[in-house]
Amino acid sequence: MRQKVIVVMLALVAILLARNLYTISMLPDEMRQGQIFRIIYFHVPAAAAAMTGSAVALVASVLFLVTKKFQYDALAVAVTEVGLAFLAVNLVTGSIWAHVIWGVWWAWDPRLTSALICWILYAGYMILRQALEEPTQRATFAAVYSIFAFTDVPIVYFSIRWWRTIHPQPVFFSKEGAFPPDWSRALAVNMVAMFLLYAVLTMIRLRQEQTQREIDYLRRTVHAI
Amino acid sequence: MYTHTLTPVVAFLLQADVDPIRDEIGRLQRNFQGLIWGFVAAWVILAGYTLMLTFRERKISREMERLKSMVEESEKK
Repeated sequence: MRQKVIVVMLALVAILLARNLYTISMLPDEMRQGQIFRIIYFHVPAAAAAMTGSAVALVASVLFLVTKKFQYDALAVAVTEVGLAFLAVNLVTGSIWAHVIWGVWWAWDPRLTSALICWILYAGYMILRQALEEPTQRATFAAVYSIFAFTDVPIVYFSIRWWRTIHPQPVFFSKEGAFPPDWSRALAVNMVAMFLLYAVLTMIRLRQEQTQREIDYLRRTVHAI
Repeated sequence: MYTHTLTPVVAFLLQADVDPIRDEIGRLQRNFQGLIWGFVAAWVILAGYTLMLTFRERKISREMERLKSMVEESEKK
């Protein structure tokens, strides 16, 4: 059943992205940026999906600490790992955009710096999990670390409002510099597609995590026999 | 000595050397190349991660089969 859901969702993602690639290519160029502004159709949805994943990881980590059920730990590791890939997409596409528009690959701007720190923190989460052998200890330490790592997420989101920054202001929920309706619609469709892709990859990763736990159990059984 | 007479000539030559159309074409090309690289990078990262998941899935399945057969053999003995 889960396999079928994954296949159907993947097909839906492929259709949405292919359709939207055509829609994006048909949009007029942005007046000051030219064609490169279209990178936002991957840059922003990737960030939004990764940030949502971080929030899910936070909730799952808290639930693990409260209930001690390992399914929440499995969910936390699955969403965090997929989130790392999406955050990497966000950072790399942003860097390419910056090279064209600002003339530099990177600037130590509050938004860019906090986003990079966020990626490093969640990469640290994955490294921490590799370093600990005992499952309960690993899950507890990782849950506490995940809660700590999440503190950077609001900083990333609000950095462009709290500090002076060269990063563009948001195009959603803002009065100034907001997208025209047809541009926003295309961005919303890509947002849905990227969230679906995130959900599919998380489901696959979660299944792997559950299978890995079964393998660990079988290994212990084999050793006991 | 000839500075005064040469200045307008040099200024004219410098102006003639700057071709706004060529500059604009170059800017548009860099802009388009950046967009393509951005899309390629996004897809390479996501496809790479998906491939990593696929390889891990195979490895886990093989390991599962191996352990199951080991448990079955141990139980037979």
